Amino acid sequence: MLQLVVGQLLNGVIVGTLYAIIALGVTLTFGITGIVNFALGAFMMLGAYFTWYFSDGLGIPYPLAVVLATLAIALVGLVADQVLFRFTRNNLINGLIVSIGLISVIVAIVLMVWTTTPQNMHYVLPGVFRVGGVIVPKMKAVVFGVLLLVILFTYAALTRTWAGRAAYAYAQNPEAAALMGVRTKVLQAGVAAYSAALAGLGGGLYASLYSITPEIGAGYILKGVEAAILAGIGSVMGSFAGGIIIGVAEGVGSIFLPSAYNDAYGLVFLVLILLFKPAGLFAVSSR
Amino acid sequence: MKLLLLWVPLVLVPLVIHNNVVLTILIFTYLLGILAVSFNLIFGFTGQLSLFHAAAFGLSAYATYLAMAHWGVPFWLGMVVGVVFVSLVSLVIGTICFRFNLRELYFAIVTLAFSELFRLVILNWNSFTNGSLGINFTLTPTLWIPGRGVVPVQGTMMWYYLSLVAVVLAVGFYSRIVHSWMGRCFASIRLNDDLADTLGINVFRYKLIAFVAANAGAAVAGSLYSFYISYIDPHYFSIDQSLAIIAMALLGGSRYVAAPIVGALVLTALPHVINVNAEARLLIYGLILILTILVMPRGIVGVLVTGLRRPSRAPQTPERPRHAA
Amino acid sequence: MLLEIRNLTKRFGGLTAVSDLSFTLAEGDILGIFGPNGSGKTTLLNLISGVYQPTSGRLVWAGEDLIGRRPHEIAAGGIVKTFQNPQLFGELTVFENVAVAGHLRLKRRAGWRRVATLLPARHGSDDDLHERIERVLALCRLGSVRDQPAKSLSYGGEKMLGVAMALMCEPRVLLLDEPGSGLGQDEIRNLDEVLRDLRTHGTTLVVIDHRVGFLGRLADRAIVIHHGAKIAEGPPGDVLRERSVVDAYLGPGHA
Repeated sequence: MLQLVVGQLLNGVIVGTLYAIIALGVTLTFGITGIVNFALGAFMMLGAYFTWYFSDGLGIPYPLAVVLATLAIALVGLVADQVLFRFTRNNLINGLIVSIGLISVIVAIVLMVWTTTPQNMHYVLPGVFRVGGVIVPKMKAVVFGVLLLVILFTYAALTRTWAGRAAYAYAQNPEAAALMGVRTKVLQAGVAAYSAALAGLGGGLYASLYSITPEIGAGYILKGVEAAILAGIGSVMGSFAGGIIIGVAEGVGSIFLPSAYNDAYGLVFLVLILLFKPAGLFAVSSR
Repeated sequence: MKLLLLWVPLVLVPLVIHNNVVLTILIFTYLLGILAVSFNLIFGFTGQLSLFHAAAFGLSAYATYLAMAHWGVPFWLGMVVGVVFVSLVSLVIGTICFRFNLRELYFAIVTLAFSELFRLVILNWNSFTNGSLGINFTLTPTLWIPGRGVVPVQGTMMWYYLSLVAVVLAVGFYSRIVHSWMGRCFASIRLNDDLADTLGINVFRYKLIAFVAANAGAAVAGSLYSFYISYIDPHYFSIDQSLAIIAMALLGGSRYVAAPIVGALVLTALPHVINVNAEARLLIYGLILILTILVMPRGIVGVLVTGLRRPSRAPQTPERPRHAA
Repeated sequence: MLLEIRNLTKRFGGLTAVSDLSFTLAEGDILGIFGPNGSGKTTLLNLISGVYQPTSGRLVWAGEDLIGRRPHEIAAGGIVKTFQNPQLFGELTVFENVAVAGHLRLKRRAGWRRVATLLPARHGSDDDLHERIERVLALCRLGSVRDQPAKSLSYGGEKMLGVAMALMCEPRVLLLDEPGSGLGQDEIRNLDEVLRDLRTHGTTLVVIDHRVGFLGRLADRAIVIHHGAKIAEGPPGDVLRERSVVDAYLGPGHA
């Protein structure tokens, strides 16, 4: 039994990190630029498909395929921001509706090109680690490691670099930041592209572990939003923690309750947090 | 009330047009029209994006059918069960959301969360709801017609008139509310709820009323719609359905009571006019949402109305006492 | 005595915006609240109208404790506030803005029976409302712009619309936050007329304004607030000449 729990725990941590990377994208976009972009889930899905296509379809080595896919999604995010989201900056509802519209468009295109048949990537890194009786596939550990590194890097970049502090300043007071010389248009575009890249990266790594269908984005954006709100918008390490919490709750919970209700944990957390501690568990005061 | 004249030709349509496809499109338009018009009360007029509407639609459908199947009640009583059930649920959810002062985005997310929770329950409670397989209806609604007694509602003609009457009543109901002092309260909440608060308007109470009244309309639509197609499954609760509802309201025009019906017409008729498959339909929904927000925020009816008149304010409150139309 | 403020204190985190403030308001007063920028005057009005809850202290209105009441309850009780930066329903016309503000009046006259007006036949009650709206519009000199969208008004027009909406609520006490700021000479004169007229008809006024001249002439009592605390109280003429008050406004060494 203990092995089962530990195994599910570890699994939950890894899945949670995937949630966390999306949550990070959500918290950055919403926290810094005030834009609601639910399409990050669709970006993740697109990143997964691009990675699979580059790697299995075009024969590009997996790591390079992931990088290319990430860059491509960053570009998609940038274009989406400039063409669409820019006009919804002050209006959350409009941003939400535009996001939903964009998701439909992306999902529809993917369905047309690749259909609804689940696709599987070849085994990138077969083999497992044995950690005291518990089996952890090597690839999962790699995914975890990469995502953790990226999250830590983002945290460091935001707190230690000039660009990062400019971003915080902008989040607090856009006009003042502009007056101080922060190039706000560049910053907004940068945040949009970076968040999309995070989602794309998550998707590319996801593709190495699970089969991909056009529907995977929906679940992940919901979990990402749940994790971001659970932690408190604006907190980088908080998104990581939030993702882990939800991932682990699902993993361990599925031992005791039917796995059909997995999605409910995140939903319940979400409702409870928004009612009782709307600023989130690790609240950072900005927006 | 000149709009009443518009309804008259619709009454005559089935006598003139015998094309079943056209009539079927109209039936769906009317039923989905009720769904979209009721959504507009909370969305277009009160300014709250509720993602619970599809859930209200589905819950009432299930409740109506299950009441008929397990308690043996006739359809109309079943529909009352559905509406009452949905209204109670909305009362609870609305009280939670508005008591905790959830706004805009967070209100949307929490209503979505509740919608998803209900969907999961329906999906997994196989013994009661048949889960993902859905239920094929074996019961039909019945109607008492003077001179003919109790007849089952069957066939395109009967459904056409039934749904037409339903949508006219729905529009009448919501129109009365919107053009009254209560409609003014809703508008004030939409435009500046802090100001409304200081002017003595109980924002919590009116948001709740709008939410429950809107969901009640969705419930009526759900009962009728599910019995028209004689089928129900958890897909009624899906995000796709929520998406379609928002698209209908926006496309028709979110500032006019009956305008969402136009949106419903376009979305229902589109697959017949342009031969599209499911993917293309999804693409079109998405484009419609994006384009209406960015380019045509007043919707089709808005464009028609302001195109013909000098741009003035949307009809929210009456300037002069209206005389009975 | 209509309104009693006792030891009212409001802290926002580390900042004390209002500190141990006490005063009373009698029916028919015009009370002027003076003080330099940032002294806590607006916060005081927000506390009275229920927008903020005090950290400590008491607010007693006609014998009842106001603390914990929501703004709409306080407005229904007879205390109505205007905003320093005019808050309006931008998309609606001037007429419609004032009509929305008629809600309390409708509630008072019809009670829960107002629900009956939702039924098709009953529209008669609207005539009474329209009459009142016309009168308020005329009083505030907004008749000529009644059909324009509120967001197209001049700044002075917006301020008067704010006053008009507050008037529709039939307040016993009207709290005015800088009603004169941004107004031209004509508009100030009109505002002065409107406010004196209000007092004649029984409304008690609490007015914050920067223009020491305008408010000094209008008010019959004054209190001066500095750093959230009351530093002077009395007839405006006397109070405004006090040393501590001049120091507060102009800095030490000017008296």
